[in-house]
Amino acid sequence: MRKLAFFIPFALFIGLSVFLFSGLFSNPMERESSVIDKPLPAFALPDLQQPEKIWTPDSVKGKPFLLNVWGTWCVTCNAELAYLTELREQGVMIVGLYYQQPVDAAFGEVFNLAALQQEVALKLEQQGNPYQWNILDKDRTLIFDLGVTGAPETFLVDAQGIIRQHHIGDINPQVWQQKLAAAYQSLQE
Amino acid sequence: MIAEYGQLALTFALCISLALAIVPLYGSFKGHQTALQLGNPLSYALFLLTAFSFWALSYAFWSNDFTVVYVATNSNSLLPWYYRLTAVWGGHEGSMLLWLLTLSGWIAAVALFSRSLPLQFQGRILGVMGLIAVGFYAFVLFMSNPFMRSLPYFPVDGRDLNPLLQDFGMIIHPPMLYMGYVGFAVSFAFAIAALMGGKFDSTWARWARPWTLAAWMFLTLGIMLGSWWAYAELGWGGWWFWDPVENASFMPWLVGTALIHSLAVTEKRGTFKSWTVLLAIAAFSLSLLGAFLVRSGVLVSVHSFAADPDRGLYLLAFLLVVVGGSLLLYALRMHSVRSQARYELFSREVLLWGNNIFLLTATLVVLLGTLFPLVHKELGLGSISIGEPFFNQLFYYLVIPFALLLGLGPWVRWKQQQVQPLLKPMSLVAIATLILALGTLAATQSIQANLALLGLLLGAWVGSSAIFELLQRLQQFGSVKQGLTKLNASHFGMTLAHIGFAVLVVGVAMTKTYSVETQVRMKAGEQVELAGYQFKLVEVYPLNGPNYTGEAAELDVSYQGDYVTHLHAEKRFYTVQRTVMTEAAVHARLSRDLYVALGESLSDDSWALSLYVKPFVRWIWLGGLLMALGGLIALCDKRYRRKTAPGELKETADA
Repeated sequence: MRKLAFFIPFALFIGLSVFLFSGLFSNPMERESSVIDKPLPAFALPDLQQPEKIWTPDSVKGKPFLLNVWGTWCVTCNAELAYLTELREQGVMIVGLYYQQPVDAAFGEVFNLAALQQEVALKLEQQGNPYQWNILDKDRTLIFDLGVTGAPETFLVDAQGIIRQHHIGDINPQVWQQKLAAAYQSLQE
Repeated sequence: MIAEYGQLALTFALCISLALAIVPLYGSFKGHQTALQLGNPLSYALFLLTAFSFWALSYAFWSNDFTVVYVATNSNSLLPWYYRLTAVWGGHEGSMLLWLLTLSGWIAAVALFSRSLPLQFQGRILGVMGLIAVGFYAFVLFMSNPFMRSLPYFPVDGRDLNPLLQDFGMIIHPPMLYMGYVGFAVSFAFAIAALMGGKFDSTWARWARPWTLAAWMFLTLGIMLGSWWAYAELGWGGWWFWDPVENASFMPWLVGTALIHSLAVTEKRGTFKSWTVLLAIAAFSLSLLGAFLVRSGVLVSVHSFAADPDRGLYLLAFLLVVVGGSLLLYALRMHSVRSQARYELFSREVLLWGNNIFLLTATLVVLLGTLFPLVHKELGLGSISIGEPFFNQLFYYLVIPFALLLGLGPWVRWKQQQVQPLLKPMSLVAIATLILALGTLAATQSIQANLALLGLLLGAWVGSSAIFELLQRLQQFGSVKQGLTKLNASHFGMTLAHIGFAVLVVGVAMTKTYSVETQVRMKAGEQVELAGYQFKLVEVYPLNGPNYTGEAAELDVSYQGDYVTHLHAEKRFYTVQRTVMTEAAVHARLSRDLYVALGESLSDDSWALSLYVKPFVRWIWLGGLLMALGGLIALCDKRYRRKTAPGELKETADA
């Protein structure tokens, strides 16, 4: 027994090496989304253009759709608007989740809904409007619950309101073909 | 041509290291005197060749030789000359060359200072260090050659040194850190050489002690400088981030600290032998693990060098050979070694054992916290991250019993200690602790039951215990004055290092509890109050440096109407790398730091500023400095310079 005890450090080290070895071949930046195959988190958020209308998980589901997190302040989001609009024309349903950046009262900033509505309307008019409607997440609660790390990000949600895919970054023809198109088609059937 | 000479020298150095790995070891097993004696000249040659090679790379930086790829990626003709020279270790390849320089420096030092050791033992130590050297020299030459040229199409100017590294702290932080990391290779080589011989007497521990102390001292300084650099350069007033790479340097430090204490037991009492050997192996293994983690891209960190799986694979294989091999040797050889010394439950041996337990638990916490995300992900359980709260909380729990033990430890005798004689001095220490802690808190803040009070109590306990113990020890020589000349340097060093720990604990607890900060928007002429200090923004004006532009802000600070100081904060834009850097303005006093970082320019001529008042933050680095100084003083102990007595020499030569 005493003899074997002296092998413990060696055994522990070999065990650790296995993980170090496999760690070499995976990207530490890559994260798996924790919301996949889970229903949309509970929310009750206003429509951006018609704030009296409140969206909830129940009222958005019914058809498979893309939930696209975006903001006018985000350069990449603006770049993907044109292709998303193309997708809408092909019949893909896309809902916008508007990512409002924090307002810092200490710096004299105030949230102005009317100005935001105007800004968004102008932007969508210029770049194309892929959205059926936009949900305004003023305090970023839903964005937090979805585990969004930045904009743009896109979730593929099925007819039952279950999240099926989570894509970080912009959607371009390549991403759509390789990652999302097949999953979207299969949900249609 | 100089760069080619550098590479040539490095190639010769690899050959020399091969010879060093083979010849003395062969000699030690065959009893071949000449082969053993070759160890010394080989070691010196290795160092000289590496130093020449390092000089060659430095010269390429000095002369802006952008045909060398490494120079072009890490320097720029506009960079001031002192940063051009420190840019030598600003990237992966050059920092590996610095690693080689320190390694060969340690090897040469071992060859120079252990001539009094038995030849066979010295030959084995140099041989083991030669084996390690082969691995690293081959790595540099074949996988990260700093001398590679980009001829014939070379860039006209370089991509500049990462602005984060253009700072005084960065000039000396890596060399100190590497001296520490690589220094543990010496303790490691001592342990392996002893394992080969199978003889572990107290002489072995006495030889290994100064080397371990020296490595530990450098590592302490290196970590401290890194923390100071982060504070001054990153612009948000933090001094420790539990970043994987910081953790990678902290683990060998913790184990090294345990090793210093365990070596003391092995030397004085001839016990804890297998434990000490394991710690010596572990300290260097963790240094290697750190090198692997930083250079393989396995973990996400701000410090990581560009990740390259081939390099990672090489380092992992090297790790397997060195660490796996030594642990296997340990398992095969060590079980037959028994310690004879007896000791009672209340004795210095048991208290030092407690010290080791806590230090090792702390190491385990850091190791788990650092590697758990990796293991978790590789098991297919998804990504997680472990942050500050985890480490902070566990360290609070660990420091309390550790500090209590530390206050008691130096008073307790070897073998056996009666409780009765300690009651009086310990109650005096306890009273002094209460007065000091409550007094300090009342004088600087207000008395509350909080983390600061806990930290002050622990710090005062350790500190006053160390001082009282020293005074009592000095009096045993007749008078304090006589004692000062007679007490050995080790004891002074120990006391100083313990006081350093106390200072560090106080600094951490006070800073954590009483730091205040605010982010404000200010125009020139406006004033903001924070913790009783009035910060007045005098002006902001454009800045023109050699390789950057930017803005500088001038602030006047007053306390309750009295002028305190003038602060100058900068925000630099490095034009080549297109990076923005903050140069925080710091006004440092022992009791508090005032810290201002200049932020963004806002509309209507106003500026965003971050203001911090951080009480006792200097104590953190002062504590580290005192610990390192303690190590240095202990290193000067006469005992380590004494020539080996003839009797001891014979005993080990038989092994």
